[in-house]
Amino acid sequence: MTKDLPGKGFTRRGALQLFGAAGLMSATALSGTRALAANADPKGQIVLSFSQEPTVFNPLMPHIEVDEGVYYAIFDTLIDFDENGEFFPLLAAEVPTVENGGISEDGLTWKVTLKDGVTWHDGTPFTAEDVKFSLELPMNPDFISFRSTGYELMRNITVLSPTEITWEMTAPFAPMGAILASTFIIPKHAFDGVEDPNTAPFNNAPIGTGAFKWKERMAGDHIELVANPDYHGDGPYIETLIIKYIPDLNVMYTQFKSGDVDVIGLQYISPDHLEEAQTLDGKTVQVMGRATFESIGFNNMRPVFQDPAVRQALYLAVDKTSIIDALYYGVPTPTETYMPQQSFYYNPDLPKHEFNIEKANALLDEAGWVMGGDGVREKDGVRLEFTNSTTAGNHLREQAQQFIQQTFAEIGAKMEIKNLPPAVMWGDYWMNSEFDSVVVGLSTLSGADPDSSDYWMSTKIPAKGGSGQNTMAYANPKVDELLTEAANLFVPEDRKPLYMEQQKIMREDLPFLPLFQYAVVAGWKEGVEGPTQNVNNRIGTWNVRSWKWTS
Amino acid sequence: MTMTANAPARRAPRIKSRAVRRFMQHKLAMLGLVMIVTLALACFVGPYLLAFDELFIDLRARFAPPFTGGHIFGTDPLGRDIAARLFHAGQVSMTVGFAAMIMSTCIGSVVGVLSGYYGGAVSAVLMRIVDAFLSFPSVFLLLALAAFIQPGPAMITVIIAATSWMEVARIVQAEVKTLRDQDFVQAARMLGLSGRWIMFRELLPNAIGPIIVAATLTVARAILLEAYISFLGYGIQPPLPSWGNMLNGAQQYLQSAPWLAIVPGLAITIAVAGFNFVGDGLRDALDSRSEAR
Amino acid sequence: MLRYLSGRLGQSLILLFIVSLIGFFVLSLAPGGPLSQFALSPGMTQEQMDRVAEQMGLNRPIIVQYFDWLTSMLAGDWGTSYRDQQPVLTIIADHLFATMLLMGTATAIAVTVGTTVGIWSAVRRGSVFDYTTTVLAMVALSIPTFWFGLIAIYIFSLELGWLPAGNMYTVGDGSIGDYAVHLILPALVLALVDVAVWSRYMRTATLNVINQDFVRTARAKGLPNRRILFKHIVGNALVPMITLAGLQLPVVLGGALVTETVFTWPGMGRLFLDSLGYSDYPVVMGLLMASAMLVLIGNLAADLIVAVVDPRVRLS
Repeated sequence: MTKDLPGKGFTRRGALQLFGAAGLMSATALSGTRALAANADPKGQIVLSFSQEPTVFNPLMPHIEVDEGVYYAIFDTLIDFDENGEFFPLLAAEVPTVENGGISEDGLTWKVTLKDGVTWHDGTPFTAEDVKFSLELPMNPDFISFRSTGYELMRNITVLSPTEITWEMTAPFAPMGAILASTFIIPKHAFDGVEDPNTAPFNNAPIGTGAFKWKERMAGDHIELVANPDYHGDGPYIETLIIKYIPDLNVMYTQFKSGDVDVIGLQYISPDHLEEAQTLDGKTVQVMGRATFESIGFNNMRPVFQDPAVRQALYLAVDKTSIIDALYYGVPTPTETYMPQQSFYYNPDLPKHEFNIEKANALLDEAGWVMGGDGVREKDGVRLEFTNSTTAGNHLREQAQQFIQQTFAEIGAKMEIKNLPPAVMWGDYWMNSEFDSVVVGLSTLSGADPDSSDYWMSTKIPAKGGSGQNTMAYANPKVDELLTEAANLFVPEDRKPLYMEQQKIMREDLPFLPLFQYAVVAGWKEGVEGPTQNVNNRIGTWNVRSWKWTS
Repeated sequence: MTMTANAPARRAPRIKSRAVRRFMQHKLAMLGLVMIVTLALACFVGPYLLAFDELFIDLRARFAPPFTGGHIFGTDPLGRDIAARLFHAGQVSMTVGFAAMIMSTCIGSVVGVLSGYYGGAVSAVLMRIVDAFLSFPSVFLLLALAAFIQPGPAMITVIIAATSWMEVARIVQAEVKTLRDQDFVQAARMLGLSGRWIMFRELLPNAIGPIIVAATLTVARAILLEAYISFLGYGIQPPLPSWGNMLNGAQQYLQSAPWLAIVPGLAITIAVAGFNFVGDGLRDALDSRSEAR
Repeated sequence: MLRYLSGRLGQSLILLFIVSLIGFFVLSLAPGGPLSQFALSPGMTQEQMDRVAEQMGLNRPIIVQYFDWLTSMLAGDWGTSYRDQQPVLTIIADHLFATMLLMGTATAIAVTVGTTVGIWSAVRRGSVFDYTTTVLAMVALSIPTFWFGLIAIYIFSLELGWLPAGNMYTVGDGSIGDYAVHLILPALVLALVDVAVWSRYMRTATLNVINQDFVRTARAKGLPNRRILFKHIVGNALVPMITLAGLQLPVVLGGALVTETVFTWPGMGRLFLDSLGYSDYPVVMGLLMASAMLVLIGNLAADLIVAVVDPRVRLS
């Protein structure tokens, strides 16, 4: 993806501070405080529930959010993001930076030093060969891999010693740290002599270096993991981790109430139960922010959405407060941008949304959209009429959709709801921009890195032959320019103003109507310690290695 | 039926009146008829009598329990009147049920009459297809279809019909097979009437009794199937209400607002039971053999 | 006998072939596809999607995919899941037990209750009991199974708190008692429709036997009513019920699918729904084939048992 990025923005000063001063300092601080010995005495069992079933156990294969819930327990990455968006080392001895020699001054040569004495769950020593294997496998043409971004830029991955590995980059790439932070390292020896890596026995009986070892899986029900007594880092503190699959949110909540579930995970407590959950005895309930933002996304190629007045008027006609407070019980936070509010790059000064039907009507009148006899406006033969789609069966979203439909009708905009089964909705219909408008929850960042050019650059529109995820077909040359420049800079302070500016332009352009930033209602039994909000990881088990019972 | 000049058709009026009499005496069938008529009236006339529009959203009145604020069945999570939605949903669900019945009866009749009339290879092939469709749970097939189509009332009707025509096909085939060799058919053949004429003008009308019974039961089945796939989110999509999709969101609020689940479920049960009762009555009335029971 | 068996087997194979054609035809209509589940993941660019589609062989013509699938199916390979690359057969086998447990229990309940009610209403034909059960059976057939499940959960789990609202067992417990407690609600809900069907058919079957000559003879010989009932009537009436059990199999299987979805039961129905959600065609196909096989085997077994039990029946 960096293929299109020219190298001109790359400065010596930037390279020197690759990964950012803040990140570097707290990273060392963190690794200093972390004990490097396994906890000798793990105690007790935690039952964690998910509403989808994790079934992909090779972390380098295509997977969904819930699968990652298991990876954090079994595997380690080289480095990871903490809750403040800063890196800390896991399998790496330290976070690679220019200062410690991990990254060359031009940002094109990387060298990572690994922790010594780490072993796989089967006792085999962990070495740099495993890292090389894990970084190369995603580009293996015979391997069905989850991603090629980043890996495709790596060349000459070389093992210098069992604890040292180095590689070159064909172009500087700021989000490379985020790529490493989501590359779980898998054992090379598990693939020795395996003909087809896609069907390796490892894929169903994973071996990692993580805090928990695979014990067994009862398909359709649960996965049992046990403490790894030889864990190289801090933890684990619990003897058994059970990951339970409960496809129904009500049943999940009922079991959390009754105590069968200790920690309620992905899809969490549904917002309508928040009030009751907060009154439960012996349970801690906490609203946690997520990086995902909900929006009404337009297909910006459709004639009806060409007039900025239309997009602005529609935004004025969204009763955001009622949607968030009534339908979502006040759980999520209103937002004006795609950037999570916890991010360093978040622009807090964007104009605030207001719900104002008269203003919306006035705006459309002024722009020449004439109300027709059937209550639908029209201008130059274009009717203010469009479909809106989302995943069929997502109740809260469907409610919001119908509510929005009603307020849109009040300004003479006819929104027809056309929801589709997931396989249809997110297939070509979405990827090829066959929709008029959608309601979608998107997370456009990779980890804490703010780069989201895949989603907003005009060269990334799949429907126009671009190879990205800009399915809303948003195109603004100024945004292209800012994103390109920012992805080539490495100092957070230098990148920040560019992203601030870009968010401001997008707030004016309204290629999508931002509704809210997701938040989930997490809950756990009193006495459990560990679950912590982290918008930089996709799932709540990012720090499961240090979860424990305090009582 | 009256078009043909054969013996059974001449006897028809007598059979008909006897069947009607027997049907009228069937208490359960009459109860079923009353249930269907009441429900249909409520659904098609009811909306005009209610103070609320089925699409009108009022967030301040969400989750009103039954008999509060003028909402006889309460309100849903968007504050819409459940009674208004229930009646509109009834129009949708019953229309889908009827349309699916007509389609599946047509498909089934054609397949059955072809298979029964021609016999041999034609019959073997057609009946193997029927067997194949019957050899997995229709819910599986229906869901597999529903998961991949763009859901709309018309498509839902088509796929329900596509998975429920086999019963009729079997019945018609069996009936036609026995009729095929009877005198009036032989006579028609000797008169040089075409196969198509014989099949659809002579044979099919004489199998009408069992077809009507099967069709009635198919309406019941179609309503159930629509409810189920819409319940799972693959059927009729909101804001168009159907009894099934009204239940779709209800599970979530089972504890806090149980009426959301209870009301549409009862409506489905009443409708389906109505058609089942009538179907049972028709079977007894039209099938002389059933007198033995 | 052998000839009969091979004939039936051949017929079944033809049926399975047609089933596979229907299944593949249905899935070939499907827009979207198995990769859509990844569409919202970061890094899943169009380029990467195309690459994965190529690797999984998703961009081959449907006809080629079908013959590929068919040849490996004939060799005993049911394909691999698109979602997690596991062999389909393994995945189905993992979910078989739960479904069998649920269906088995429900059928046991249905047979016991259904036959008893059926016989009783036949013997007391025209009584209040007969009439009531007739009406109740029709009502039971009219209640949507999933809704009945919801109501059962509402009453017995949420309001009364007597029984668990879902799952097959408590993690960490898994004793027989624990399974039993979890089984009660779903099994009863699933059995409801079945009881209705069984009692109706049993009633008819018993009536048919009662009117037959040998029963009249037995009566004329002055045998006690109870003995006639159990020795002659019930024994003979049960024979056609074995065939019925075979024919009811798809209905029960379909019901199990519905029940599993409401009670979060980890069986094949749940797997079917999840696989549909991920457009995991190989698993969906596998489940369609497996259920068809189950039904065919069930029917064959029923016919064989009837032949063994009832000397009047000749296999031909």
